[in-house]
Amino acid sequence: MGGAVTALDLDTDLMLRVKEGDGASFGVLLDKHRSSVVHFLFRMVQNHAVAEELAQEVFLRVYRSRSTYEPTAKFTTWLFRIATHLALNSLRDGKYERAQERLDDDSKEMPVRQVRDARPSVEQSMVYQAKLDEIRRAIAALPEKQRAAVLMHKYEEMEYSQIAKVLSCSESAVKSLLFRAYESLRARLAHMA
Amino acid sequence: MNCPLEAGENAELLLDYCNRKLDPRVSSILEGHLAICPSCREFARNQQAVWETLEQWEATPVSADFDRRLYARIEQDIGFWQRLMKPLGPARLRWNPLAAAAACAVLLMAGVMVDRHPSAPVVQPAKDMAQVEPVQPEQVERALDAMDMLSEFSHRVKDSTDAKM
Repeated sequence: MGGAVTALDLDTDLMLRVKEGDGASFGVLLDKHRSSVVHFLFRMVQNHAVAEELAQEVFLRVYRSRSTYEPTAKFTTWLFRIATHLALNSLRDGKYERAQERLDDDSKEMPVRQVRDARPSVEQSMVYQAKLDEIRRAIAALPEKQRAAVLMHKYEEMEYSQIAKVLSCSESAVKSLLFRAYESLRARLAHMA
Repeated sequence: MNCPLEAGENAELLLDYCNRKLDPRVSSILEGHLAICPSCREFARNQQAVWETLEQWEATPVSADFDRRLYARIEQDIGFWQRLMKPLGPARLRWNPLAAAAACAVLLMAGVMVDRHPSAPVVQPAKDMAQVEPVQPEQVERALDAMDMLSEFSHRVKDSTDAKM
């Protein structure tokens, strides 16, 4: 990974403290990025249990790499690079199919949290659930790299340059990936808004 | 301004505009274009619709015991490395210039001996010999992941055996 790290990257500073043996700084990093990593992985593999297992592996790898850590890029770039690598491997290893088989079970597990209205009626819940399933299927239908790019762009609000570093490609390649991905999503989801 | 869709360049301006990430100055220029370009207007309307639809997908909350499980794995990991390094004792952390110089000398001598060794005759591969496929970097990464998993698995098996004993 290239590029200089600005002095303002507090995460990098925290990781350097972890490198020096400060366990509390690892706790701060975990607190700060736990949700975003789990949510990113959940949207990638679309299975809560698999996403948490992969997120554990991400933070374990961060901890294992502490002694060799060099701040050559933003901490979040490094973090999401590990997460994306694990998610893509998981999808290629076929865990994705098993996740898809359990997709309906998952939807039933936590319907309340996935619907915006805190106290929806049964009918509202069913409508939202149908919408949610359609969104999930549209995202799942995207090629893996397009999916990762959209999730980082939409939900993690990453810049094109950072997504490019995570996916190890050029900025123009990321723009092209995103353009094609949103084109597919427009075709599948535009009627829902 | 050139039509981003027709020109095929700066199409990300439309994405950024729809995602409300565009600089206000550029935004107002683009709005001027949208007023006269039906295809860009249609694009923007559909893209905004997709953006709003995606916002409805809220991720499920992280399990309450996530940190506990993670720290347990970290503890397990540290325990494994400590057991692995134990036979070496505290000496592994000390810098010993004499030992380093001896190691360098051994390596140098090995290098010289390999260099002096007469080269073996080149054997032409028989036509019926198995051809080796080139290994892709992804295969190597997967193999490393598999090795990680195996190592962790054997570690857990050993732990459970120790516990039984």
